[in-house]
Amino acid sequence: MTSRALWLGLALLGPALAGSPARAQHPGVVTIGYVELENDARYEPVLGTERIVIARRERPEPAAEVALDEAVAIGRVIQRDFVLAHFRAANEQLLIEQVAAAVERHDIHLFVLDLPAETVGRLATALNGKPALLFNATAPDDSLRRALCAPNLIHTMPSLAMLTDALAQDLVAHKWRDVLLLEGPQEPDKILADGFARSAAKFGARLVERRGFKLGNDPRERDDNNVALLTATGRDYDVVFVADSDGEFARGLPYRTTRPRPVIGSTGLVAAAWHWTWDRYGAPQLINRFLARANRHMTGLDWSVWIAVKMIVQASLRTHGGDYPAQAAHLLGDATYDGVKGLAVSLRPWDHQLRQAILLSTPDSVIAAAPLPGFLHATNELDTLGDDRLETPCRLDGGAK
Amino acid sequence: MVRRQILLAALAALLGSAGPLAAKDTGLIFVSNEKSHNVLVLEPKGLRLVKEIKTAPRPRDMHFSADHSLLYVACGDADVIEVIDVASLAILRQLTTGRSPEAFAIDETRQRLYVANEESASLWVIDMAQNLTVEEVPTGAEPEGVLLSGDGKTLYVTSEVADMVHVIDTERGFVTDNIVVGTRPRRFAATPDGRALWVSTELSGEIWIIDRATNQPTGTIDFRPPGMRKSDVTPVGLAITRDGKTAYVSLGHANHVAIVDVASRQVAFYVLVGNRPWSVTLSRDETRLYVANGLSDDITVIDVAARKAAASAPVGRTPYTVVVDD
Repeated sequence: MTSRALWLGLALLGPALAGSPARAQHPGVVTIGYVELENDARYEPVLGTERIVIARRERPEPAAEVALDEAVAIGRVIQRDFVLAHFRAANEQLLIEQVAAAVERHDIHLFVLDLPAETVGRLATALNGKPALLFNATAPDDSLRRALCAPNLIHTMPSLAMLTDALAQDLVAHKWRDVLLLEGPQEPDKILADGFARSAAKFGARLVERRGFKLGNDPRERDDNNVALLTATGRDYDVVFVADSDGEFARGLPYRTTRPRPVIGSTGLVAAAWHWTWDRYGAPQLINRFLARANRHMTGLDWSVWIAVKMIVQASLRTHGGDYPAQAAHLLGDATYDGVKGLAVSLRPWDHQLRQAILLSTPDSVIAAAPLPGFLHATNELDTLGDDRLETPCRLDGGAK
Repeated sequence: MVRRQILLAALAALLGSAGPLAAKDTGLIFVSNEKSHNVLVLEPKGLRLVKEIKTAPRPRDMHFSADHSLLYVACGDADVIEVIDVASLAILRQLTTGRSPEAFAIDETRQRLYVANEESASLWVIDMAQNLTVEEVPTGAEPEGVLLSGDGKTLYVTSEVADMVHVIDTERGFVTDNIVVGTRPRRFAATPDGRALWVSTELSGEIWIIDRATNQPTGTIDFRPPGMRKSDVTPVGLAITRDGKTAYVSLGHANHVAIVDVASRQVAFYVLVGNRPWSVTLSRDETRLYVANGLSDDITVIDVAARKAAASAPVGRTPYTVVVDD
């Protein structure tokens, strides 16, 4: 009860706290910063014609509250209250200043980031060398794990490579090896298509053809905007992978293909950290707790936020209420966590990516969980998904690249 | 009365056994099935189906009354515990529980039932005679395993999410101690001398041993069946023999049951069973171990002396608990 009251208090005080004069953290309190942008385009609803909402894209913040609810009993035992301090600003610069001030003046060191990749990167760079660990909970971009390779970042959000690897494993497991790859004109579409092409090569699936599509009805561009023509390739394929960050083209693709083939990627069978129909390993209890709090289904982004807070709670529990250096040592060590997804989740020391199972789902059912049976690894099957140590230039664990 | 005798006679005929069913030691095997919402009753010799008892949704943990005349079944999606008459194999009545009852323990002397309500994060103390909840003790999220001390004064409950064992004073109705253990603690077994408590921690793949006098962990046991990794091992079910010498541990995803020498805390043998074995139960003469395999929808009967699976039989969907009336 105490921790709930404190949480509510701090939630209201959040932005004020960040801007207020120096104030030491109460010794019995573990404060977790929750960082987001006010106008984050990723959470604008997907609109159809006449502004009909095709899909709401909700912020995953309730997942942090669910994790705090779960922590009440632990808090009682180690005599710590876990509270959230909210950092929310209209622009990136302001947000970075707020967070930097919280680290330096308010003794807050652990932050869950719900930010787009560019902002994650700039915040990590700004706080480099400061006593802070940042949990990237919603940006899948491989560039953060590979080129940036920041020691103060922990990625609970699966990387794009993990997501496309999971789909490629499923195709190979079905012997659906021949893929028609359709990609949109935007930069994220190209990144997703490149990611899938890399995963296909890694697991032995083949790209029959890779074609760009355009939205429109111009008959002069029909080779690029007509689904029937786009999918009428000379060579047969087993499945269509569509890379469409906008979604409008992808939504209309299944059942319009020339050949009767399933569609995966941006629609149809989709890879994510979580799905609300997952019913194994104690998942239904978590799904119900989330539903009760947020009044909606739990998504992959929700899971990544939930596990980030849970990792911080575990770092306190397993260090008996230890201070930030002890927590950081635990978090960056070889600890394992219960992600309610089968094999225990844990941090890859080379790039600080949380290794975890990936769920492949249709809108109302989990179809498979990757790693698929038969995809083996020398030490941990979860490392068949995404960048294994030798597949990335990132070397946060030291040693040669 | 007459109808009951006819029913008994019919059942006896079905079983081909001479003994009256109302007496103890029918040897009947009861299996609760989470997804087919029933308890299946199998006869002991050929493991043939005697009766399907339809229950409220999602039956899970089961316990007999001390005289084995009644069988209690926690039905997770109906928030009740159903009471089965062992003689007639019919449901007599229901006890009301909190949200999603999972495991429970019975105190016959005080006519109390202690049930962990998975979704309401609490332990309810139910007066069985009045079907009344007399106490609610808050626990960590997803409470599961429940074990009552021999004198009925102390209750142990695991919280799967909070990674701890709550120690509850049953007289006063509150938590007196919390013991932090490995990840996702599930079930208990007590050594017959009353000194040690064994706790299976599913995700860290261990058994934690707790000294009951001090409530301190005194050690852990790891498992590594042939060809398996530590991460494959997800122990849940536990049973210890009456002489306190041998323990049986189901290893979940490792598809084995471990036979452990209690004194040395060393694994003596691994027996291959079905997929994701959970609940384990010893026959009264301790010659057979019954194992419910959650993901292959069957049970395995282990010949304890030979240390191998002697038989298996199909049951319902997602079998959870197996108990034997002997």
